[in-house]
Amino acid sequence: MRSSLMIAMAALGFASHPAYAGPTEDLARTCNACHGVNGVSVGPSMPSIGGLPEAYLKNLMLQWKSDERYSATMGRHFKGYTEAELSALATYFAKMPWVPVVQKADDKTLAQGKAASDRCETCHGATGGTPDDAETPKLNGQWADYMHLEMMKYRTEAAKMPHKKMRGNAKKLEEADVEAVAKYYAAQPK
Amino acid sequence: MSFNRREFLKTLTTSTVIVPLTACAAPSGGKSGGSSGKARIVVVGGGFGGATAAKYLKMMDAGLDVTLVERNKTFVSCPLSNEVISGHGKYEDLQAGYDGLMKRGVNVMFDDAVAVDAAGKSVKLKSGKTLKYDFLVLSPGIDFNYGGVAGYTEALANTTHPHAYKAGPQTLALKKQLEGMQDGQTFVISVPPGPFRCPPGPYERASQVASYFKHHGKGKCKVLIADANDSFSKKGLFEQAWKMHYPGMIEWVAGAAGGKVVKFDAKTNTASSDFNDFKGDVVNIIPPHHAGKIAMDTGLANDKGWCTVDMLTMESTKHKDIYVVGDSTVHGELPVYGAPKSAHMANTQAKVAVGAIIAKINGVAAPEPFFVNTCYSIAEKDWGFSVVHIYRAKDGKLIYDTKAGGISPVTMADESLLKLQRKLESEYCIGWFKNIMADAFA
Repeated sequence: MRSSLMIAMAALGFASHPAYAGPTEDLARTCNACHGVNGVSVGPSMPSIGGLPEAYLKNLMLQWKSDERYSATMGRHFKGYTEAELSALATYFAKMPWVPVVQKADDKTLAQGKAASDRCETCHGATGGTPDDAETPKLNGQWADYMHLEMMKYRTEAAKMPHKKMRGNAKKLEEADVEAVAKYYAAQPK
Repeated sequence: MSFNRREFLKTLTTSTVIVPLTACAAPSGGKSGGSSGKARIVVVGGGFGGATAAKYLKMMDAGLDVTLVERNKTFVSCPLSNEVISGHGKYEDLQAGYDGLMKRGVNVMFDDAVAVDAAGKSVKLKSGKTLKYDFLVLSPGIDFNYGGVAGYTEALANTTHPHAYKAGPQTLALKKQLEGMQDGQTFVISVPPGPFRCPPGPYERASQVASYFKHHGKGKCKVLIADANDSFSKKGLFEQAWKMHYPGMIEWVAGAAGGKVVKFDAKTNTASSDFNDFKGDVVNIIPPHHAGKIAMDTGLANDKGWCTVDMLTMESTKHKDIYVVGDSTVHGELPVYGAPKSAHMANTQAKVAVGAIIAKINGVAAPEPFFVNTCYSIAEKDWGFSVVHIYRAKDGKLIYDTKAGGISPVTMADESLLKLQRKLESEYCIGWFKNIMADAFA
């Protein structure tokens, strides 16, 4: 059975198909419904996930699964996946290209956002496209609405957000600057 | 990642494969695939299930010959249609066309599929055309059993008493009736026995109607839900929201308390159960449902009116090579944990069916299925919540993972956290909607 199957596979060219990622691809297909095909979201409150750093994605998913990190919805999802599956999904989405969705904002907002983004810059890079390390997400062309909501999480004392530095910096931002910073990064192509 | 031979084979046999079929594939069993040798797949019904199936068939194998048969040139989404009734959402945002699928190479035919010849493997269209298929994906959604509420008819639904449980002109008709109400009047919603599409739908509608009243100086209006059932989806979350945002405005009458509406008198605007009369100024009867007519006519439904499927592939248990996805199926045996009739479920079922069909064409085992459902409801501005379901295959059966999923927390340690949770999910609902519309139609 196996050998005949292998011959059939070879005849169909399976072995030489580089793009197919195995069962992870079957799993990943279900992510598209909320995060877009290839992890490029078209819904402003939902993040694009394709091309984010592997370590960042993996951290996040495992922390949600174990309730170490607050999530509104994703924790309930990830309890249905094994750790191995989540790691594989992190690898899968990290390999995709990061496709920034560049969003327009008025000059005043952009200037306000840039000025207030000082403390973000150290880790995420000046325009969000070149984060400092593998555990830090890209922000350039990420959805402004999503980033704004994410900041609300960091700024809510009772929400369990394990990244101490991020929590501290998020709380130091003026309320009026949060949206401007989100819009500033959302407007950056790289 | 490096594979040894055993793992490699395992991967191949348990996974969906993506191979250009144009050149090499004879459809299953070596049947004729037409002169081009392509497998022909007909998809009937261009809602969330059918559109997703057509798109993913082409995306995963561009060589397939995929035809989508759909009655309407514009799709109108049921999800978020309650928000249009209340004025919080825009009707235009519910709409999608089929250009995206056409660009992907799907042959879209605006026609009505009137009959399936399961033995001869063909679909007859209203225009007189007949489409031969190797595989058929049926995603006909639901149709209504108007006989379930004596006195309520399709003619009434299309004129004075819209059910608005298929989004479209009736959504706008019901919106208009709501806007015409005076302060102090009553809006009655009658809920049919389950299963029905969008399990939280009637209760979200009640919330949205109350929201309209609250924000339009009609705070003395009431919403009365006459329910054939004794419980409902996300009950604790809805009741909390009603108490918080609409105190005293929404009354729910359970089936056991005489809530099951069995007749309707359009002249007096009265819906009646065997015990109670519910008179309203607007009466919104949601009639009982069954699988879409074409699925019933093809003999795919059980005696309760729902299509039974192989839980792991979505292939009909009645006819080979017909895959049924979406609201017309009963998917899972347990009454509580059977898959809900939602857009997300239709989308995930379609992807599983596509994986199984492509595997079958290639003569390999169907990939292990994975089903996920996320269903958001918005009860009031900044007040959304959800239910999540994860279904996996175990020993050939569909198992609801009770360790995962479930509803949003009803209570949380801190008031600020609860507010954040509801705000996030009200926003995620809109983001989910935009992405799933694109996942199916773009």
